[in-house]
Amino acid sequence: MLPPGAHRLNGSLPMPEKQPIPDDIAEQAADWIVRLTAGDATEREQAQSGFEVWKKQHPLHAEAAASLQQVIGRVNEVRATTHGNPEPAHAALKAALAEGNRSRRRFRKTVATLVVACALLLPAWQLLQIYPPAYLMADLRTTTGQWQTHDLPDGTRITLNSISAVNLHFDIERRILELIKGEILVDVAQDTDRPFLIETAEGSIQALGTRFVVDRHEQTTTLTMLESKVSVQTAEQRAEHSHESTLVQAGERIHITAQGVSAIETIDTRTISDAWQYRHLVVQNRPLTEVLDELNRHRRGHILYDRAQLQGIDMAVVLPLDDTDRALQLLVDSLPMIRIRTLTPYLVLVDLAPASE
Amino acid sequence: MPPPDIHCKQVETLYSDHHRWLRGWLCKKLGCSEQAADLVHDTFLRILNSGEVLTGLTKPRAYLTTTAKRLLIDRARHRRVEQSYLDELALMTATMEGAPSPEAILMALEALKQLSDALQSLPANASEAFLQHYLLDETQPAIAARLGVSVRMVQKYLAQALLCCHRALTD
Repeated sequence: MLPPGAHRLNGSLPMPEKQPIPDDIAEQAADWIVRLTAGDATEREQAQSGFEVWKKQHPLHAEAAASLQQVIGRVNEVRATTHGNPEPAHAALKAALAEGNRSRRRFRKTVATLVVACALLLPAWQLLQIYPPAYLMADLRTTTGQWQTHDLPDGTRITLNSISAVNLHFDIERRILELIKGEILVDVAQDTDRPFLIETAEGSIQALGTRFVVDRHEQTTTLTMLESKVSVQTAEQRAEHSHESTLVQAGERIHITAQGVSAIETIDTRTISDAWQYRHLVVQNRPLTEVLDELNRHRRGHILYDRAQLQGIDMAVVLPLDDTDRALQLLVDSLPMIRIRTLTPYLVLVDLAPASE
Repeated sequence: MPPPDIHCKQVETLYSDHHRWLRGWLCKKLGCSEQAADLVHDTFLRILNSGEVLTGLTKPRAYLTTTAKRLLIDRARHRRVEQSYLDELALMTATMEGAPSPEAILMALEALKQLSDALQSLPANASEAFLQHYLLDETQPAIAARLGVSVRMVQKYLAQALLCCHRALTD
């Protein structure tokens, strides 16, 4: 008995020839083809005429030439898929070839993670005794679809959403949490002697015992206040050691960019707290494209769509972020005009459903 | 290469004698899952398509496990190809109007996986020269300078890579 489907031939080029091309002829063809794109113009011209003569010498020569040139044709087709941009294909092949170096890199990364993990396990006071007055520094990061809650040595609790990274710079005088990217929920522990600061490239948020969400994406830091209040400084004010700041209270949201602090929006703190607790995405009248972007951040693999095509569709919805398959299903259920196709576990395509059935 | 029907017969014998054992072996390695069953299937498929001479195979089980291990390595590489390609594509489509069609993406992925099979078996310089010249349109003298070798050597690398990719795409 043979395994089912054993005669399936997968993904080969259609090859009309009956007999394989002899190795020496294939090698000659390869040599000619390489010289066709030589850097030297004279060599190129000579190769062109020489190649034509060679191909006419024997039918197998012409066949070998055509067959080998299909390799270049195939590379060009791949490039054409991305409108001539070679980067996706280049990145893919680079990743495939990086195999050998990967295990070594991973080892180094593991060691670094272990060092950080050990550092976090030690109580803060102990570290401060070992390294007085040096600071405690740690890297915390999450990957796609990962959520992590960390209790910091001062009693502050932070939850990192998918693809987020923070650095901690705690010392005797200050607690600084540097948000590199992504989104975090912070429950700051009271410590009147050591102010708690969240710093991003766009600005600083200073708090004393409070609960809020900070999100940093595409050069915008968004602050959503859940309890109490904080004062916010832009990167510019921070650099000038200015005393000016913006006060943000519970139920308010602002965006900090290089242009400054946006107008204050009001939000429903209860919904957002619940969203973090139950890992839900809660949106009220936001564009579908934004919702898809958000799902993308939580999904291994990709949701692909044409931004222009889906523009103008707004929605209000609650989606589970820890089960993006279900989230996508809920999305289709609430928006009958869109269509979702799963091509591979890594690739989901979203577009407008065909007009009529 | 043995005549196709003889080869089929040999694979059939190999399958009936050892597929249960291979499944058990893979179960131990990977945990019993659909993946193990799937891999057994693909292992035999690969042997069948390879057309290798199986007469006088003294250690059939070692042959099967080697083939299965290679398959796992290839799969891991194919996943990296897929993931990295789609990562970049997602970045691109964020700024580009009109994403490529799903068919075009799948075709590109298929070609990239086959190219990765070929390129990984080449010396690093040869695969690098191939990518630089045929994918990124870098000139041969520029590649020579970058790799610190002669232009003639770059041409040898390119010919070697072309032949290797050709075999992978036509096999």
